[in-house]
Amino acid sequence: MLAQKLHLLRHNVLSFVSSRTGSDLTRRQYDVIVVGGGHAGTEAAAAAARLGAETLLITQKIMTIGALSCNPSLGGVGKGQLVREVDALDGLCGRAGDSAGVHFSILNRSKGPAVWGPRAQLDRERYRQFIQSELLSTPRLTVLEGSVDELLVSQPNPEEPGHHRVTGIRLGNLPQTSHNKLGEFWPIPPDRAGVTESVDGSHPILSSSVVLTTGTFLSGSLFMGQTTSPGGRMGDAQSCAGLSYTLKETLGLRVGRLRTGTPPRIVKESVDLSLAQLQAPDKQPTPFSFLNTHTRCKPEEQLPCYLTHTTPGVERVVRESVHLNCHIQQDAKGPRYCPSIESRVLRFPGRRHQVWLEPEGLTSDLLYPQGLSMTMPPELQLRLLREIPALHRAEIRTPGYGVQYDFVCPTQLTPSLQVKSTQGLFLAGQINGTTGYEEAAAQGLWAGVNAGRTALSLPPMALSRTQSYIGVLIDDLVGRGVTEPYRMFTSRAEFRTYLRPDNADLRLTPRGFEEVGCVTLRRYKKAVSVRDGLQEALMALQSVALSSTRWREKLGNISLSENKSTTLNGLDLLQYKDVSFEMLASAFPECLSQYFEYSQRLKIEAVYRPHCEKQSREMERIRSEESLSLPSDMDYLSLPVSLSQEVREILDRVRPNTLGAATRLPGMTPAGIIHLLNYVLRTGQRNRHTEHRNRSSQKEGEKGQLCASNIPISQ
Amino acid sequence: MLPCSWGLWRSAIHTLKTFSRASPSARGLCIPTRAVCDAETIFALSSGHGRCGVAVVRVSGPASSMVLRNMAGLTQALPPPRTALLRRITDPQSKELLDRGLVLWFKGPHSFTGEDSAEFHIHGGPAVITAVLQALGSLEGVRPAEAGEFTRRAFHAGKLGLTEVEGLGDLIHAETEAQRRQALRQMDGELGRLYQDWSYRLKRCLAHVEAFIDFSEDELIEDGVLNQVDSSVRQLETEIERHLKDERRGERLRTGVQVVIAGATNAGKSSLLNTLCQRPAAIVSPIAGTTRDIVETSLDIGGFPVLLSDTAGLRDSSDSVEREGVRRARQRVEQADLTLVVVDSTQLPPDPQLVAAFLQEHLSTVLPSPEAGMTAASDRVLLVLNKSDLVPEEQRERTEGELRERPGLPPACFLSCSTSTGLEDFLTVLQSRVKTLCGDPLSGAPSLTQARHRAHLQQSVQALNQYHQYRDQDLALAAEGVRLALTHLGRITGRVGAEEILDIIFRDFCIGK
Repeated sequence: MLAQKLHLLRHNVLSFVSSRTGSDLTRRQYDVIVVGGGHAGTEAAAAAARLGAETLLITQKIMTIGALSCNPSLGGVGKGQLVREVDALDGLCGRAGDSAGVHFSILNRSKGPAVWGPRAQLDRERYRQFIQSELLSTPRLTVLEGSVDELLVSQPNPEEPGHHRVTGIRLGNLPQTSHNKLGEFWPIPPDRAGVTESVDGSHPILSSSVVLTTGTFLSGSLFMGQTTSPGGRMGDAQSCAGLSYTLKETLGLRVGRLRTGTPPRIVKESVDLSLAQLQAPDKQPTPFSFLNTHTRCKPEEQLPCYLTHTTPGVERVVRESVHLNCHIQQDAKGPRYCPSIESRVLRFPGRRHQVWLEPEGLTSDLLYPQGLSMTMPPELQLRLLREIPALHRAEIRTPGYGVQYDFVCPTQLTPSLQVKSTQGLFLAGQINGTTGYEEAAAQGLWAGVNAGRTALSLPPMALSRTQSYIGVLIDDLVGRGVTEPYRMFTSRAEFRTYLRPDNADLRLTPRGFEEVGCVTLRRYKKAVSVRDGLQEALMALQSVALSSTRWREKLGNISLSENKSTTLNGLDLLQYKDVSFEMLASAFPECLSQYFEYSQRLKIEAVYRPHCEKQSREMERIRSEESLSLPSDMDYLSLPVSLSQEVREILDRVRPNTLGAATRLPGMTPAGIIHLLNYVLRTGQRNRHTEHRNRSSQKEGEKGQLCASNIPISQ
Repeated sequence: MLPCSWGLWRSAIHTLKTFSRASPSARGLCIPTRAVCDAETIFALSSGHGRCGVAVVRVSGPASSMVLRNMAGLTQALPPPRTALLRRITDPQSKELLDRGLVLWFKGPHSFTGEDSAEFHIHGGPAVITAVLQALGSLEGVRPAEAGEFTRRAFHAGKLGLTEVEGLGDLIHAETEAQRRQALRQMDGELGRLYQDWSYRLKRCLAHVEAFIDFSEDELIEDGVLNQVDSSVRQLETEIERHLKDERRGERLRTGVQVVIAGATNAGKSSLLNTLCQRPAAIVSPIAGTTRDIVETSLDIGGFPVLLSDTAGLRDSSDSVEREGVRRARQRVEQADLTLVVVDSTQLPPDPQLVAAFLQEHLSTVLPSPEAGMTAASDRVLLVLNKSDLVPEEQRERTEGELRERPGLPPACFLSCSTSTGLEDFLTVLQSRVKTLCGDPLSGAPSLTQARHRAHLQQSVQALNQYHQYRDQDLALAAEGVRLALTHLGRITGRVGAEEILDIIFRDFCIGK
């Protein structure tokens, strides 16, 4: 089965499989099963299918696939970088944003292109439609409506206690209909043979890779005022107790609890917008996707946002309602940067807080009050809103509420987002303790890639934190874990001046096609042509060299710090604040004017290049650390090297994936790292290729390995 | 966390480079070109200290020839490789004469590290050594070596044999430990507080710039946050620069091998100090105690400078003054190059077979936790079994036999401070320990730590310049300057991670969304 799949990989992604045969429709076995249809799940399913894996996406409600559960926006500072990277790896959310955006703006415009934050307000309907139609037209992807009752794992091998292997899932209630890629609804015959008999009449579907993207549904509870009900999102069925049980009890995974919330939705007509400050979008929308030159929404069709502020009255209502508010009295950790209005007011009393009134879509009659997430009883929510001048007559369509949910401590995952102790089980999104659509999409894509690769018997892959924000995100999660919902900030990236939104395609697309297999040929060709074009343009810039006196003559009155006689090339000159590519091209039209389309990217490249070169050594160091992986089943307690008992216990508990992760462990000593390094180098090749549990043969081989691994040292 | 561990961690990884596969993305546009490996040039004092006539300072890296030209006045050709040349050694900036000494030039790969290298053989006085090290640190692209860095470069270049590679971990362990102790001593005092204060203020500056980048679009970041940062950065620059210029006002450096006497109350610690001071082998020059509870004495043991400290007896006490004394005693033990743990022999179990376990247990209460790098087996501990005259001869002999070459226990010497029995044997052991420690260029050589600190402070100031340079043009690049400055300061005061900056952001600003 797996061998047969291999030929489908990568290059055939674009060749659509026209239709399925009857037996396909009754399939009880897939390469990859993705549970959940949110931002992580949709990216995971699409990525696995792009890779060539026969993929099944299971969701409780097909109609909520691609739904924006909370804010109607995408991107921002740090998050926008993630969207660009997901797009560069051929993910969905960038293009979906371009299709659904109704208000585009680049944040941080004045602070340097490395920290620009592409952002858009979205039309909820359009976003959902785009994601759904994209999934339905993805070859090898089937969507099934249903609820997963249980994760099927193989019996633990007595010789490997605690180790499991995923074999599939068991559906709970019998799904009425399922939905295949051609958009037809088709029934699942309840009596299909060929797979394990189900004792209780429920439905096992087999697969060697399963991606769980259950969001807030893992033991989720909803909070409003003093009432609590089980569930992960208002209006949806409650979640999978069986799944929760499997993760905690069968697999023994450590879980923690987090909370989040959403604001009430306000009827637009009831808002006095004249009392709020208008926030216009960019005149010319900038698309998220490297494939798009313009957005679906025309510049003049864009909708504005409005800014208003809280008043002392808001604070009063919060204080008066604390005793009626279960959610904020709970211990579960909420995000520090997306706090409810209650926790903001209680933490920073006496201040004015910003409230953004955001459109929910072109045809929607609602406004989304960003910054007013709250969990007090609905009548008090209304009272609170009306303390704000612009909202003094506001009507609530749906009240705000809080959610508390379980997350799996992500230090139990590998950098490929697979659970260390369970072969084939991948987790992505809020289940890993993150918050935000973009963070979920980024993990979903990478989990989908690795689930697909595992199913197709390809080795898992990791993204370096020196190469992408996705790499930073995953490395932070699996290396350090979370204590509060994790959100991306540009300050988390050491190499921020290199991990820019403008160059995400160059950083990721070629590799995504050549090595990972998740990028389609069309996008690859485009990225390669851009790369070659930019390369040529840079060479052309470097080829024009003049003394600074001559440059001044050519370009008019620009301030150059260099001596008169210093020779500068075009690239040097482009670093100057008041020099643009257009100026240079008009001075040297014959060799530069053909590169006009790259003018902005060239300018950015020129400014950052010298700095990135300075950092390259540090990047190289981190990459080397990351490339040295530590076998996940290393027996640290009896490792024949000189390590203190304390260090052994730390290593045994955390089981770092790479030497890099080991160095960041608190309590790890430098000498311990060196000993570990020596050990890994000595036994490295052996560990990579053979069964390293066989300790006796390993010891015999150590001498030989030492000599062998010494050869590259003397190069 | 201490600076040395960070430095080591960082440089230890350099050895990995050759093993990593070539990065697939290191081609094409916009990928920073791969820098030449170990582009930096490093230096270190590689001879011991104490009463030595000649000190050897080693330099390794691509700038070695530049260093030689600048400091030895070799304007024309370099000397033939591996040939000693007598030169005037001058400060490259002030042209002031520092010393006359031998210089040697080693063209790579025919050197210890395989890189271009140079050696300066100078007079062994601390003033000369300090001056030369500081002059080296002032050259661009030249910095003090991190612990074990010379050896690692040699390893990298394939210059080490298999057994030496095996020993690398232990070597680095020893060197980082020495550096860690040195840094502890240096950080313990006015200078330490100064650096910590700079670090704290720089962290706040960075946090405020990062907050402005990550949150100002969505949040109410107070006006003028950046203006505050501007003036704080300027203030810091001024202070660090002034500190770098004011060379004489440094703290008194405690030179010598730091030997600390520790143990329970009434074990005879003070008697040991007095006994050691009265012996002709020990020349005493008392220094007024810096604290009321620790008595410090400078000694000369077998020709090597030793700073001997007597500490308060270790016991749990309800008296607050005594508790403070015990705390300081423990701190001093952690900073020590060598600890003499004094035990009252009359308290030993009468059955000799139980003594080892008893001592093991006892050591664990006296010595700091193993994370601090000190274990009972460490060669930085000696056991002194005092009051041996009160123990029956036969029992003592049997115990001695039992303890001889017991793995996991430091060497133990029976001694009577009142009758001086066993003193000669103990002094022999002590002398050989001190001698070994003095052979280690790191222990007791504060000038090297000082040179490291200077180098990092200089780089920190340079990085802060970048902040001003880019402040109005590109805030991301300006922030990079503050990040870099903090990295350098962090090598003195401890590393600073992104999470810590975020903590400050969330503490100082009301961030939502």
